[in-house]
Amino acid sequence: MSRRSWSVLSVLAVVIMLVTACSPVPATQAPAAAPAAATPVTLTWAFWGSPEEAVSHKAVADAFMKEHPEIKVETWNEPWDNYFTKIQALWASGDPKAVPDIAFLWPTPKYAAEGVLENLDPYIQKSGYDLNDYWGGLLESAKYKGSVYGLPRDNEINVLYFNKDLFDKAGVKYPDENWTWDDLLAAAEKLTVKDASGKVTQYALAMEGGKYSKWVNQNGGAILDDYVNPSKCLLSTPESIAAVKFFSDMMNNGYAMRDADLSQAGGDQAVFLSGQAAMIIQNTSRVSSFNAAKMNYDVAVVPIPAGGKRWNPAGGAAWVMSAKSDNKDAAWTFLSWLQGKDGGEKLYTERGEIFPALQSVANSSVFMTDQPPANKKGIVAEAAASGVGGFGYFPEWDELDSSVIGPAMQKIWAGEADPAQALPELCKLADQFLKDKGFPKQ
Amino acid sequence: MPTTSAAQSTSPPRRNPFRWRPDQQWEAYLFILPSLLGFLVFVFIAVGASLGISFLDWGLTGPRGFVGLANYRELLRDPVFWRVARNTAFYIITIVPLQLALGLTIAVGLNQAIRGTEAFRLIYFLPVVTTIVAGAIVFRLLLARNGPLADAVTGLGQLLGIPLSLPDLLGSTRNSKVSVVLLTLWKNTGFTMVVYLAALQGVPQELIDAAHVDGANAWQRFRNVTVPMISSTTFFLFILQTIGAFQLFAEPFVMTRGGPAQSSEPVVQYIYDNAFRFTRMGKASAIAWFLFIFIFGFTLLQNIMQRRWVYYETE
Amino acid sequence: MEDTNRRSTARLSVPAQSALTVALILGSLIMLAPFFVMLVVSLWPNEAFLARHFPLNQITLANFVETFRVIPFGRYILNSAIVTLIVTVFQILISSLAAFAFARLRFRGREGLFLLYLATLMIPTQVTLIPNFLIIRSLGWYDHYQALIVPALFSALSTFLLRQYYRSVPLDLDEAARMDGASSLRIWWQVIVPLSWPVMSALAIFTFQGAWNDFLWPLVVTNSDKMRTVPIGLSYFVGQYSTAWNLLMAGSVIALLPVLVIYLLAQKKFVQGITLTGMGGR
Repeated sequence: MSRRSWSVLSVLAVVIMLVTACSPVPATQAPAAAPAAATPVTLTWAFWGSPEEAVSHKAVADAFMKEHPEIKVETWNEPWDNYFTKIQALWASGDPKAVPDIAFLWPTPKYAAEGVLENLDPYIQKSGYDLNDYWGGLLESAKYKGSVYGLPRDNEINVLYFNKDLFDKAGVKYPDENWTWDDLLAAAEKLTVKDASGKVTQYALAMEGGKYSKWVNQNGGAILDDYVNPSKCLLSTPESIAAVKFFSDMMNNGYAMRDADLSQAGGDQAVFLSGQAAMIIQNTSRVSSFNAAKMNYDVAVVPIPAGGKRWNPAGGAAWVMSAKSDNKDAAWTFLSWLQGKDGGEKLYTERGEIFPALQSVANSSVFMTDQPPANKKGIVAEAAASGVGGFGYFPEWDELDSSVIGPAMQKIWAGEADPAQALPELCKLADQFLKDKGFPKQ
Repeated sequence: MPTTSAAQSTSPPRRNPFRWRPDQQWEAYLFILPSLLGFLVFVFIAVGASLGISFLDWGLTGPRGFVGLANYRELLRDPVFWRVARNTAFYIITIVPLQLALGLTIAVGLNQAIRGTEAFRLIYFLPVVTTIVAGAIVFRLLLARNGPLADAVTGLGQLLGIPLSLPDLLGSTRNSKVSVVLLTLWKNTGFTMVVYLAALQGVPQELIDAAHVDGANAWQRFRNVTVPMISSTTFFLFILQTIGAFQLFAEPFVMTRGGPAQSSEPVVQYIYDNAFRFTRMGKASAIAWFLFIFIFGFTLLQNIMQRRWVYYETE
Repeated sequence: MEDTNRRSTARLSVPAQSALTVALILGSLIMLAPFFVMLVVSLWPNEAFLARHFPLNQITLANFVETFRVIPFGRYILNSAIVTLIVTVFQILISSLAAFAFARLRFRGREGLFLLYLATLMIPTQVTLIPNFLIIRSLGWYDHYQALIVPALFSALSTFLLRQYYRSVPLDLDEAARMDGASSLRIWWQVIVPLSWPVMSALAIFTFQGAWNDFLWPLVVTNSDKMRTVPIGLSYFVGQYSTAWNLLMAGSVIALLPVLVIYLLAQKKFVQGITLTGMGGR
């Protein structure tokens, strides 16, 4: 054999080796493929979280399967940060077998606009599912073009958590439903502790900058003129500017933690646990960890400006059904069970994981336990003030918020911009964005 | 072996470095075949598809319509795009030279006859093999405004009796990029160092000795003998670091989320956001191709320049 | 070290040596500080970290055990090791073959093809993720090792860098070998590959750590615990509302160990490569 053909053969061998190493293995997974009459229907159910967090979801699935032996629920979970990337890739593949039948999702309108979600209106009508039990404004976040595309699992109720020990130490009266912004400022002054060099060692308040809409709406301001079909940014109104200024002044005075400092310190849960902040404003997801740490704390409604109104941004991630699901009727059975007051809602609430989206569950003994925090009535009062205004319900909201509104706000929270100047500039950009996207739509 | 090639080999190699041989043609194709097959399936198709997608309004599940150059035109007046492009440019012009200078300095230090070079080399290399998520989170803790580094600087100031304080590195729009650069230098300098170290050990000792005899001092020997002798390594690292800095994503994403106010957001994060958060695959692809055209021109220029300043032993 | 002893004329004076050592130690402290933090966080309960208070009597190794209990970390490490080793070896082999042809063989379309390779370098993976995902699905590789391994075998960067290096090797070596009757494949294996040990091991380290840390692609093409890799496992500790800092850091420390072993092995070869090929004296 000549040397040349030897070399030809050797290279060929490498190629063949590679090709065989890469040859497709027959797909072993074929879930939900043509269910035989006797075998149960299989649904894939997607949510985010670690395998450990998945435990409670799996318990919910087990409870469902006990009641409905004809349906088998398989769970599917990904880390929170990249759940959305993954599920989008699956949708992009267009393969119904790859896409979960029921998924946990936020924000619903963006995905509904892409046509990947099933319109739930017909199912709701047929089964007589009760939508009136949801908190005010909550379902708006799961609607697209007037139709319901998702059922929100929980309502994010932002309340004021306060550390009783630190309040006692500073000799400050506990907050109650009569507190105004002025009371908050007066307490903040006493609760802020600085060391000799002027460095703040204890902040009065920690609150994520992104929750600013609470102050704005309490003060009669707004982000947009309409949250479904907007034409104008309203953050430049005097009411909005005053509200943003109230919050940014608290940061500039050292009463409230700057947004960047807060995230570097590990978030509000961490600073509240460690006593670095005497108060935080956050949703009820923190309760279980504060209870586990046996903290001496309680919650109160968030103080409002004199003459203002109590307000909470209604919103919560929703369960949605894939438009490509092979078993839509079974999926609806599961979905309506998940969001029924004796099914999933009850189980999640019992586990202390959520503030339920259904008013009846929140007002029942399932939520009104004797576990801390004592002031559950305060949470319900804040929930009763739920309304639209925290975010847009149109598909382009994410882009508007993260590339126009968010960056301008972050400059304010960093103390690098004055709300009176930055907000009108922001609105100019936001109006241009809306115009470019063809808003207001007919 | 054909006799023609033997005859040709007497001609000086410089004039015709790649001799034409018909039989080499097929051999060459076979050498390239494994790579080419993979490129066809996993690279060219996807890259070609992304070019096509850049002319479409491409949502989550597929095309919504042909839009021609609209995605590109949008970029020209998209303030966010220019902001993140400037950020990436900043990363390239700071990280690449600093990385090369730092890596070479440490490598020269470790190339001396001193004790413990093995241990030093390991320590400087350790960050290279650390997962980026862990590294970024630890840096976020270290550089925080109330973190240990700030405390150390303030403490030092008190010790010296002068008011010293660390500027806010993560929370201000002016300094957030610096934090990312610091993290990247910590993470990657070890790699540059290891590669330079190998190159330094390949510099012929006779050349350095000869320069010594000619009366060149240490700096002159380094500047006029060592640096030219390792220029091909510098080029290798230059390209590697430039591409690395251009594709920077995980470091700022974990450490600052690109904030505050997008002050540390690199282009690739904006591409990611467009593709996966704003469901605008078309625009994401357009950004990538827009930059590609720009960078490709730059690379061509580099290739031309490289002929002028890289020393190849064949020449 | 044997290879530094030969520098007779370059030997530093004793004060200079001490100064250099002090500078290198200071630099080492900076490089090690983040690892110190990592280790401290991994050795205490999460509450200790949140309170930034680390009492000595609370020190524990429980986090390292817990990491394996919360997620199937052992399996993830095994997957990462399998994928990374195969990718590193074959990517460099395949790139080396192609680079050899690009650098030292002449064929029609060489410049054009090489330009095409170069062109793909600058397109970030975020853009090609979806098209590539569709290809993987249509091949039936979703959630299989092939999906993690095969696409990573073809690297324009490795090919480009090896080609640059191969071009710097004198062509006379090929000619001499060809005169002796060696085939191209033999020249590649017996002349070029041994000469390029240093650059190949540098590339190997680079490829290895890139593959070991890759996150986005494994996330998208795998679905089951059987196929997941270490970076995805670590990301489970970063939750929507809270992070298990202690587990994240313990996991990171564990993830560091295999790579460290590989480095220690590779670096030995690395140094050997230099002395064996006589690059030092060329």
